[in-house]
Amino acid sequence: MTDEGLDPVIHAPARLRLMVTLTSLPEGDNLSFTRLQDLIGLTPGNLITHLRKLDDAGYVQINKTGGGVSALTTVALTRDGRAALDRYTASLRELLDRVELPRQP
Amino acid sequence: MTEGRGMRNDGDARDAPDMDPASAAVIIEAAREHVQRELTINRSAILATWSIVYLLGYGVVWLSVKGQQPFRAPAGWALALLVALAALALGVTAQLTERATSGVGGMSSQRRRIYALSLVVGLLGVYVMEAALSSAGASQRVLSVYGASAPLLVAGVILVAGTAAWLSWYMFGLGAWLIAVAATSGFAGPAGVWAVDALAVGMPMLLLAAIQLRRRL
Repeated sequence: MTDEGLDPVIHAPARLRLMVTLTSLPEGDNLSFTRLQDLIGLTPGNLITHLRKLDDAGYVQINKTGGGVSALTTVALTRDGRAALDRYTASLRELLDRVELPRQP
Repeated sequence: MTEGRGMRNDGDARDAPDMDPASAAVIIEAAREHVQRELTINRSAILATWSIVYLLGYGVVWLSVKGQQPFRAPAGWALALLVALAALALGVTAQLTERATSGVGGMSSQRRRIYALSLVVGLLGVYVMEAALSSAGASQRVLSVYGASAPLLVAGVILVAGTAAWLSWYMFGLGAWLIAVAATSGFAGPAGVWAVDALAVGMPMLLLAAIQLRRRL
């Protein structure tokens, strides 16, 4: 089975988990960096690296508020990000169907 | 999800081009389940806690007034126990809500804050009005019916109104039931109202808690 047609920005285990986690929030909601880290189970450095890639693609919006000990970083999925994940899952379904079809009698 | 809370993947910053579509599907399903479990408020525990407030708290108040001839008032110790149980239930509700929603900001967070504030303002109004009724000369019989049912009426109205924000028919049904119980339980009299409220609210809440627990497992 190949991964042709799958968005390479999303098609990495950690970023896929990030996208699925963020898409579970209703539109207009965001998740703090620390809670996201807790949910995904990545080190801060790795999380930042993956978030940067998603941010560069316009799939997430990262906001920083406050400063010092009260600094808060929040992450939210953008509309483009939600649409990209929808496209990704549709392509994935198509690929999996193609593999499963020959098995049917 | 295979990776639980606190696990760290130090080597995961690189891309994984060898992830095949089947593995991706497994990751999506596992991530959905994990996030659903972590970010969903444990309604089952909240309902079970509040069912204890009604069954035990209201039940004890009823025991303290049952058979009073003529009717005087609920015993102070029984009311104190009810207040203590309600405070404990509020604490449990706040903690379980915080555990699930910690770090979640935006519209949902604002909605929850306004909702909690509505409940506080509504209940404050109930108790100020009770004092006003007492000051206006309302009898202990009237105050007993009011004291048992008015908080239920406010909680019911707020649950029903909350449906507009959360579009939950489950919330609407529970709220409508609380309103119906609050509106009719007074017919059982100043002593009986406590028993009716205890059973008519406590038992369905316990049942709902069991249903929610089954869905969660």
